[in-house]
Amino acid sequence: MSTDAVAIIGFLALFVLMLLRVPVGMAMGLVGVSGFGYLVGGAPALKLVGQTSMRTVTDYTFGVIPMFLLMGAFVTASGMSRELFRTANSFVGHMRGGLGIATVAACGGFAAICGSSVATAATFSTVAYPEMRRFGYPQSFATGVIAACGTLGAMLPPSTVLAVYGIITEQDIGKLFIAGIVPGLLAITMYMITIAIIGWIRPGFLPKGERHSWRQRFAGLKDIWAPLLLFVFVIGGLYGLPFLPRFTPTEAGGVGASGAFLIGVLSGRLTKDGILGALLQATRTAAAVFTVLIGALIFGYFLTITQTPQKVTELLTGLGLGRYGVLALIMLMYLVLGCLMDAMAMIILTIPIIFPVITHLGFDPIWFGVIIVMTVELGLIHPPVGMNVFVIKSVIKDVSFTTIFKGVIPFIITDLIRLVILITFPIIALWLPSHM
Amino acid sequence: MKRVYMDRFIDSIEWVAAGFVGIVAANIFISVVLRNLFTYSIPDSYDFGRLMLGILIFWGIAATSYRGTHITVDLVWGNVGPKYQRMIDVFATLVLLFVVSVQTYTLFDKVMTTRTDNVLTFDLRLPTWPFFMVAWLGDVSAVLLIAIRTYRLIVRPELMAETKIKPVE
Repeated sequence: MSTDAVAIIGFLALFVLMLLRVPVGMAMGLVGVSGFGYLVGGAPALKLVGQTSMRTVTDYTFGVIPMFLLMGAFVTASGMSRELFRTANSFVGHMRGGLGIATVAACGGFAAICGSSVATAATFSTVAYPEMRRFGYPQSFATGVIAACGTLGAMLPPSTVLAVYGIITEQDIGKLFIAGIVPGLLAITMYMITIAIIGWIRPGFLPKGERHSWRQRFAGLKDIWAPLLLFVFVIGGLYGLPFLPRFTPTEAGGVGASGAFLIGVLSGRLTKDGILGALLQATRTAAAVFTVLIGALIFGYFLTITQTPQKVTELLTGLGLGRYGVLALIMLMYLVLGCLMDAMAMIILTIPIIFPVITHLGFDPIWFGVIIVMTVELGLIHPPVGMNVFVIKSVIKDVSFTTIFKGVIPFIITDLIRLVILITFPIIALWLPSHM
Repeated sequence: MKRVYMDRFIDSIEWVAAGFVGIVAANIFISVVLRNLFTYSIPDSYDFGRLMLGILIFWGIAATSYRGTHITVDLVWGNVGPKYQRMIDVFATLVLLFVVSVQTYTLFDKVMTTRTDNVLTFDLRLPTWPFFMVAWLGDVSAVLLIAIRTYRLIVRPELMAETKIKPVE
């Protein structure tokens, strides 16, 4: 059998296994080792499993994932989200749609120390939703804004998805994190503008909240020193800001996790149960991500031996669409895949094949990381999978999926516009990392 | 084994992994503080960090496999009735059991090779194979727990009710 036939059968088997709910990493590992074994031999294939598994889990660089997951878990357990929302609300809550704008700002602040889209969406479902409903905001808008803002967790550093992209493509994780800052801030700004436009077009739709005095506002600022300090220290250390120690991404994660733990304990917000829960949460998620990473690396050997990335590159570049045409095709593929699987699985499964195409076309790998994370994050809010929507539904019982998806539509449009802006002006993502 | 003992056993496995996450974070934090404030490096902190990472991940995979919180594609599963959901779950768990068993077998070979090659840590020149062995024991636990999961899915499915939300991304 030719290598092309083996590759095609391998991909078909992979998709069948994944559709039959075999864990993505295990399916990739099984197909990868079977295909490799068929083409090279059983003994080398089995050796590959042991070596790749042990090498992956003992790679210090990969420690960035559990460390930032732990930081996010401690931050979530410490309840820092409430202070962020309260302070943002005191500044803008009295405006039309102000509570929505406050949610965007607070989600942005929380995402900058949490790194998880799902955790951001789940947290603000309990923090911002009741407040928005109290002031008469429609369910669709309140849940839609939370679902959309949850995606900020994957864009603003520290982002687990960006870290995984960096590991797979062997790009500098620090640079990827820094590259996400300006696009993340752009997302915050554009979400706020979207809410303002909704409020302007339909004045009765988004009521005004209560006005706070300047004294209350400044008092609120005192409550958010902890998340601000954590962000500046961790990301500043990664970027190499003056007067701060310089960190590798794994060190930044470890310092961030320990910092979040110390802040939580010293401020009395992190209880014993909170600490234990955070440790368990980080462990479970890290194990799930590493399983996929091990599977992807084994599958990568199969791809190499069948020369699949080279063949896909030849196929796509031979279509005569031009580099932006091919990029558009890839984006479209990701949007469709977003209907079938979650962001992490999509990134790990497809990047080893797509990345050579991107570098062959001369696109910047750091910029593409930002673009691809933005694209797959759209899958978190668009139907039918929409993980953030499922999370919100699990927290807020009395809302239907249709209502949440209805509320999210304006933000999906905003995201698509942002995607076009970032593709047109790569400098938005690349300016900060170019100064590292 | 009674269910209460079984669950305690599974919880203990998870706690082992969770404990190692905390130790890895503390190891990094203390190393960074000592390096920047006292220009002192803990001997082998780099090697200890990565070896403990290996241990936590394999023990974590054991717990994750039992709890069914791996990253999966739920498109078909979410759109069929309970009977077919159970069939899919049993099939997926059997595949999982097979893959992790093969992994455990090959990892043992890796542990033995590391021992034979006398691979040592950088500073203290300690053998690394005991760390690999502890990590491998995590994989052995995974095989055991997946076997229990398979049994429960077939015989006592009510014990395996799971959440659809997975805390990734």
